[in-house]
Amino acid sequence: MKTILAFREEEYAWVHETFPCVHPLLLPLCNKPFIEFLIDFAILAGSSGVRILCDGGLDALEQYCEDGSRWGIDLSYASIHPDDSIHTMLGKNRKFCGEERVMIVSGFNFIRYDKRLDYKNLATSRPTGEWAACPGGRITLTGVPAKTALDWTLAELSLMPLDSMASFYRASMEALETGATRYVLPGYGDEPGCAFGRNVVISKSVEIRKPVSIGNNVQLLANTIIGPSAIIGSNVIIDRQSSVESSIVFDNTYIGEHLKVDGRIASGNRLNDPKSGASIAMEDPHLLSGIKKKWDIRSLPRKIVHAVAALGLIAVFFIPFIILWPLLKLGGHWKSTRADFLSERTDATLPLGKVEVDSSSAQAAIAIALSLDRYLWLFRVLTGQLALIGSSPLLAEKTRPDLLLGALTYRPGVFSYAEAEDWPATGGDATIVERFHLAHSNPLSDISLVIKAFINRLQEKSAI
Amino acid sequence: MKFSLDNIDGQLVGIARLEGRLDSSNSKPFQKTFLEWLEKTPLLVFDCSLLEFIDTSGLGAIVGCLRKTLEKKGDLRLAGLNDKVAMVFELTQAKRLFSIFSNRGDAASSFAAEPNPETT
Repeated sequence: MKTILAFREEEYAWVHETFPCVHPLLLPLCNKPFIEFLIDFAILAGSSGVRILCDGGLDALEQYCEDGSRWGIDLSYASIHPDDSIHTMLGKNRKFCGEERVMIVSGFNFIRYDKRLDYKNLATSRPTGEWAACPGGRITLTGVPAKTALDWTLAELSLMPLDSMASFYRASMEALETGATRYVLPGYGDEPGCAFGRNVVISKSVEIRKPVSIGNNVQLLANTIIGPSAIIGSNVIIDRQSSVESSIVFDNTYIGEHLKVDGRIASGNRLNDPKSGASIAMEDPHLLSGIKKKWDIRSLPRKIVHAVAALGLIAVFFIPFIILWPLLKLGGHWKSTRADFLSERTDATLPLGKVEVDSSSAQAAIAIALSLDRYLWLFRVLTGQLALIGSSPLLAEKTRPDLLLGALTYRPGVFSYAEAEDWPATGGDATIVERFHLAHSNPLSDISLVIKAFINRLQEKSAI
Repeated sequence: MKFSLDNIDGQLVGIARLEGRLDSSNSKPFQKTFLEWLEKTPLLVFDCSLLEFIDTSGLGAIVGCLRKTLEKKGDLRLAGLNDKVAMVFELTQAKRLFSIFSNRGDAASSFAAEPNPETT
């Protein structure tokens, strides 16, 4: 069995406006991204492969879900035209569907299912056609059913369109209240109705009223009251004497002291009323604000070592640069284009000049071999904007690599760890190498890796 | 901001219409103006139907106004809070301090049933 999940941008356009910091298909319902509920259901229905079709951007989703191996399925992605019918979608994805039964879930809807029920047999034996529907979409089965007599009425299945903040709020609360008995929900807890993530700090005087779902890295300060029906995301601080009831607090949010959040959705510095649709951005950071990653003092030794090494390289290559750069520039062999790259800070971009040297002349070959195309980037190491060695800088239009369990996954550098290990600078393997070194390298090993990267570039260009 | 005095069943009620934003840029002059209104009557209604935004400075100013009216044995009542402004009152729990009405007519007539503070 295969499953197609089809979405059209217009169905979730409201999410872009209301929660601009999150991709609509990753919108958290009870601290679990929306798409994971659909993938879970596809697996319950016996799917070995899931294809996500959308007429909008899927970069962030692909980055998050990757190839589906974490769910033990094959996950793939494709585009659709907004007007494509189910028949057209099946035609365009004929190769993916093969001869198997296909379940098509279309629309931005929350599926009410029960993980204890046997959807696998139902999905294979139900007649072709519509399985469930709502104004925003449907679940359709194609292909020949298996001949098994089953009582389909047992299959508790319905759809709830997520067409507004109010319906998102309802679906989240429903998932919280039905809890882990119906859905697979994140978090740990020794009693029903309470789910906690990792690194949750709870002061002694905090009162928790079930049901609640609390994400990772959360601080609940003295005398706060959480719940009933509170969904707290990850990286959240609820300050003293505040209460959160029947509300959703998104990731990276600070709730100030002595506040009462009741029947609201708080996201960064924005407070939303799901009933009226009203939304207000708080200008007072002590009331409600977004939490940003602060500068980490532990990175100071690395920055100092990198800056000293960069200063050395600037001094060593100053004379070759000052001789070769004007020659190449005048000869038209040195072309520099300015572009915005993703910075290590999540709230900023980094404008950098990217140099292309035409290696047809001897001077140009020497310049490339000495990595003079990166010479001006060394000054950015002195200001701390670039590391001497780190990740390959990504263009600003690319999606920022997500944090993996709180570990750093991106730090742009003059040289990349992939170059040091002689991996091709692009591709999944290079990403793994870079992430490994970001997690495990120290300032001194960085220097030896810079030398390796420099020698690898030198050998590579000499070979050319 | 517009201010008018209404006679509601023998009670002199001052109705002030707040407009636009009430934030750190205008909360101090607002409090000064309020003292002039308070000299006319301690029974006041803030019609907030045209108030689009309020921050903690504005909220602090309104709470300060309430305190001054209570010192004069009067009251300050609010009317016509839009959803955004109401959210700030609820979030900060300032809603508990005030009598809030859906429109200024209801807010003003709520004073009618009460004894006049200036005669008692």
